[in-house]
Amino acid sequence: MNSVSSRTPRFVRLGALLGVAFLALPIIGLLRRVAWSTLWAQLTDVATRDALRISLYASVCATVLALVLGLPLAWCLARMQFAGRRFVRALVLLPMVLPPVVGGVALLGAYGKTNGLLGGVLDSVFGIQLTYSLWGVIIAETFVALPFLVLALEGGLRSIDTKYEESAAVMGATDFTRFIRVTLPLLKPSLVAGLMLAWARALGEFGATITFAGNIQGRTQTAPLAVYTMLESNPEGAYALSFLLVAVSVGVLVGLRDRWIGGGSQ
Amino acid sequence: MVSTIWSSVDGVYSLTVTILAKARSLVVVLPIFMAVAGTPVQAERIVAKKVTVTVSAAASLANSYGEIGKQFEKANPTIKVRFNFASSSSLVSQIQSGAPSDVIAAADLTSFDKLLATGNVVKSPQVFARNSMQLVVKPGNPLRISSIADLSKASVVSLCAKTVPCGGYAATVLSRYGVVIPESKITRGVDATATLNAVSTGDADAAIVYTTDASSAKKSVFVIAIPASKNVNASYGIAVIRGSKNSKQAEAFVQFVVSPAGQKVLKTFGFLAP
Repeated sequence: MNSVSSRTPRFVRLGALLGVAFLALPIIGLLRRVAWSTLWAQLTDVATRDALRISLYASVCATVLALVLGLPLAWCLARMQFAGRRFVRALVLLPMVLPPVVGGVALLGAYGKTNGLLGGVLDSVFGIQLTYSLWGVIIAETFVALPFLVLALEGGLRSIDTKYEESAAVMGATDFTRFIRVTLPLLKPSLVAGLMLAWARALGEFGATITFAGNIQGRTQTAPLAVYTMLESNPEGAYALSFLLVAVSVGVLVGLRDRWIGGGSQ
Repeated sequence: MVSTIWSSVDGVYSLTVTILAKARSLVVVLPIFMAVAGTPVQAERIVAKKVTVTVSAAASLANSYGEIGKQFEKANPTIKVRFNFASSSSLVSQIQSGAPSDVIAAADLTSFDKLLATGNVVKSPQVFARNSMQLVVKPGNPLRISSIADLSKASVVSLCAKTVPCGGYAATVLSRYGVVIPESKITRGVDATATLNAVSTGDADAAIVYTTDASSAKKSVFVIAIPASKNVNASYGIAVIRGSKNSKQAEAFVQFVVSPAGQKVLKTFGFLAP
């Protein structure tokens, strides 16, 4: 350890320190602006409570939906040779590099009631309108979060040695048993990492959500949208909510770690 | 176990890096993109004598000021105008927190009261245009909305955020009609443009927007006039920001906006004379 750290040049260590400061300073700056005395009152305000509820509900639903769509996709990308695999991979990466607002416009083009490819049919045949609804928020968040899950799972599936699954098959395990008893436990670390990244991305989503699902308080206004909307009318509330988002994110990271330390040290 | 999770996070990074590295097209595209993005900077360097004036203007001025900017630059070859369009209330907080700006043009006059109070402008603004509000709905008016009083037929109404001038004007119009729309049916746009977009490209049924924005979007929305008796008189003001390093050039821009040439442009975009 010591020998490694002494081999790290001083300018590299200095650079790393700058990097840490660069990431930490804005957080400190945010904490400085939080009005601690009115924090509780701000957080229990109706608009704030609505935004938090919608954010948590939608981000969890989006993560589940991303898992349902992402696991089969990652499986095929990792283990199958098929024509157009590179194309599918590029498609998976696209929402990651696309500006979220453009993602929102694209979603309108697909599921918008008046101008969308499927939106008109969804509305006239099934009576479903995704725009300006909670489902719209979930769809927008899934769209931007899915790549993170697919990438994590694909990496995980590639790194699993298939001999365990093969021996399970030889021993007569059905596909389903094999998946639940062998593949899933081996995949668990990547799965947790992927879910974590996807959830975090969904929770922080702004551009696609406001474009596709609008900004309706109590219906589609998520916490990031509420922070932006309140920044001018009620800065104290915006900072309070921002602080809570930081706390939730840190809490999830720490909580996840502790749980795994406890569970992993048998 | 913990380390495996964190190393999986690492795995995601490295996988992304690998995939991106393999995407050869990106390697080709990126230098081109950077070259294109870099061009204006180089162009600026060649004519280094040019002074840049940054004008923070209300989103509803985006079209008209774009044209005014072109004409102003033509008349003043040594000055380059750079615009920062956002809601007037955003502009006020940007300037109060030290955003580098030389001129502010806002869609109401209370914005200037705030800036006068914090000392960001020295004099009262010059009123350079007036505007009013209209109701816009989907093309063909599928819900058969004939006035503000019919807004209860709409399931989603797009209005500007309460703190943004157009949000305040919309609230005034609604109260003159005695119409109350429940907050659960209102989607709040961050500025005038976003509020209109919710109807023109999104699925909102109706929006209350500026007359000028409504007429420039005539192809994608159906406009329902709000009679003058119930309408508002939105006054637009402009002022030089205190501490501007280019206050002379900034003042020249302000004078151009209130000059006959500037007024002519504003008129063609549907603004009323002050």
